Amino acid sequence: MLEVLIIDDDDIVTLVQGKLLQNCNVCESPLKFKRASEALNYLNKASPENDYLLLLDINMPLMNGWEFLEEIEKLAIKDQIYVYMVTSSIDYNDKEKAKKYDRIVNFIEKPITIKNCDQLKEHKYFKSHFK
Amino acid sequence: MSYSSGELKILVVEDHIGDYILIEDYLTEEHLKIFLTRALTFAEAKEKLQSNAIYDLILLDLSLPDVDDNEKLVRNMVALSNQTPIIVLTGFANKVFGVKTLALGISDYLLKDELNAPQLAKSIYYSIERKKIDLKLSESERKYKSLFEASPLPMWVLDRHTLEFLNVNEAAMKMYGYSEEEFMQMNIRDLWSEDFQTIIENAWQKNYHDSFGMMVKHHKKNGEVLYLEITSNPIEFDGKEARVTQAKNITGQMAAEDALISSEKRFKALVQDASDLIMIFDFKGDMSYVSPSSNQMIGILDSEMVKNNFFYYIHKDDVEIVKEHVSMLHDKKRIQIPSYRIKTSENKWRYVETIITNLTDDVSVNGIVANCRDITEFIKQEKKLISSLRRYDTVAKATSDTITDYDIQNDKMYYNEGIESVFGYTKDEIENSGKWWNDKLHPDDKERVEGYSKYAKKEKPANIQVEYRFKCADGTYKYVLDRSYIVVDENGDAMRIIGAMQDITEIQNYIQTIEDHNSRLKDIAWTQSHVVRAPLARIMGIINLLQNFPDISEQAELLDHIITSAIELDDIIRNITIKTENVSSTNK
Repeated sequence: MLEVLIIDDDDIVTLVQGKLLQNCNVCESPLKFKRASEALNYLNKASPENDYLLLLDINMPLMNGWEFLEEIEKLAIKDQIYVYMVTSSIDYNDKEKAKKYDRIVNFIEKPITIKNCDQLKEHKYFKSHFK
Repeated sequence: MSYSSGELKILVVEDHIGDYILIEDYLTEEHLKIFLTRALTFAEAKEKLQSNAIYDLILLDLSLPDVDDNEKLVRNMVALSNQTPIIVLTGFANKVFGVKTLALGISDYLLKDELNAPQLAKSIYYSIERKKIDLKLSESERKYKSLFEASPLPMWVLDRHTLEFLNVNEAAMKMYGYSEEEFMQMNIRDLWSEDFQTIIENAWQKNYHDSFGMMVKHHKKNGEVLYLEITSNPIEFDGKEARVTQAKNITGQMAAEDALISSEKRFKALVQDASDLIMIFDFKGDMSYVSPSSNQMIGILDSEMVKNNFFYYIHKDDVEIVKEHVSMLHDKKRIQIPSYRIKTSENKWRYVETIITNLTDDVSVNGIVANCRDITEFIKQEKKLISSLRRYDTVAKATSDTITDYDIQNDKMYYNEGIESVFGYTKDEIENSGKWWNDKLHPDDKERVEGYSKYAKKEKPANIQVEYRFKCADGTYKYVLDRSYIVVDENGDAMRIIGAMQDITEIQNYIQTIEDHNSRLKDIAWTQSHVVRAPLARIMGIINLLQNFPDISEQAELLDHIITSAIELDDIIRNITIKTENVSSTNK
């Protein structure tokens, strides 16, 4: 099973992204986290049976997206985790930096679109979950 | 500025009455004693210049009714001007041509549209000064050339190091039988007789950079032997280290005495033919003896010269002083007469320095013995030096830079007026030590600049350029761009450092302002990419949802979020506007 986690400090963003994922049939009820640390706690106890898709914002208070990525590497289930970096920035440097992380599957500039969702479902890592 | 050292006569070639009156106003504003002559056309200007009138300066308007070729006009005016400096006045459209006229012999060009009284006065002042200096330089060069060329004594110029011929006069070509082309391919050694080679070579080596005189044996082109008495002096020739040699043909004497040459005879010959001119005369100036070197020095045979009175040969401006010194010999045994001018066979003048000794009591002499040394070259050098210093002064006047002149050996630093006008120091505050200058360097720049001047003294690069901050009299610092060059002596040791300190404070401040400006703009750009996009992306996301899924629940809530995000976006944009305004206002 594929669990989807939306990690963003902006409530409107998590709301809109959740609705889009629902309507595009990516995930009926994605989990929403306002703080990266909360998502980390969740993943720490999560089942190794499932795959986890994370829609991760970069600019967040307390722990930002990059710091969160470092923490993920310490988790037991790290190999079941796939990350979509989602950012409002159109900073070229961020995009380059993202290439250095194996865990990052894709880098999307906000907002996430229907097209993003369709491509996600066709992606080789997730295909099997949408048959 | 006012050029008040006398009357100025100016010919103004200008057909336009309005412009003429304007020029007249400007000139009278700056100059009290001014006499203007006006010519309306080129024909009129020509007539005036060909009459006897003398002008200090010509102001030339390029658009004249009887001229359609400007370049021709300028050429004609330069030809007619008889060395009078010309300043061209042009309209803006002719700016390119204005620059070109400088190459045609014009002193300066001024654009009519930009003309003002101080600028016109300054241009006139510089043009007249510059012309004076130019004339003096070319005159002294011409004198030297004709002296060399027309000298009845064979003369030549050699490269001081290789001894190759650099120049040779008519008399030398005639004596040796070689043409000028042939000489230019030759070395002086080609002329030496084999049995004299070692002697000449030694004498030359010993006096490498000094004057010397000796007897030598040369061969003509046809192989004939020449005995010569030569005097050779180091000079600068066309920028090269050279020596000029003057020869007196003594073959006749030598041939006659050939068999009899004894060391005593040779000694006598040397005394007789020493380059100094020796005369014996009485208190009235009537001469009883003149040494043969008179021919070498002033081109007059001793037998001719002795017939005249000694004072006859002296320049009228100098003769009183010489007479005064001679009469002093009543009380003194020996006196040196300061340099005076003595007439040559061609009515030219040589500067000499003379020691006179009263030997009227000596029966074998019975007169005053005068020993004259030709110091014309020395005086010429001195004059050249003075004119080059004056030129340096003119340049220094025209620039706002502070000129520095550092004497390394004596640790003395000299400044022009810039140190007062740019940095505000008064004459009393300025000390002429290297330390004083060093102390004015900004502490953060000191080590770098000192390292640089050490490098310069050691490596002696042609030019040095370094930037630093220099303390002003009021304690503030100015940014300085310092361009210097090293003057080396003949051994290649660094003697002086001549520098120009340019005040670039304004440029530096300007750069700082631009950098501040840039960093603020960067800040704004960052805000745009990060902060603006956050609410914008939210609005786009919500619209995306509403468009694609019209039946979506919670539509009202989503619309509310659009409003919230739009307000947020509006605030951010207002903020950016304020920031941008701040940037442009600080820029002013």
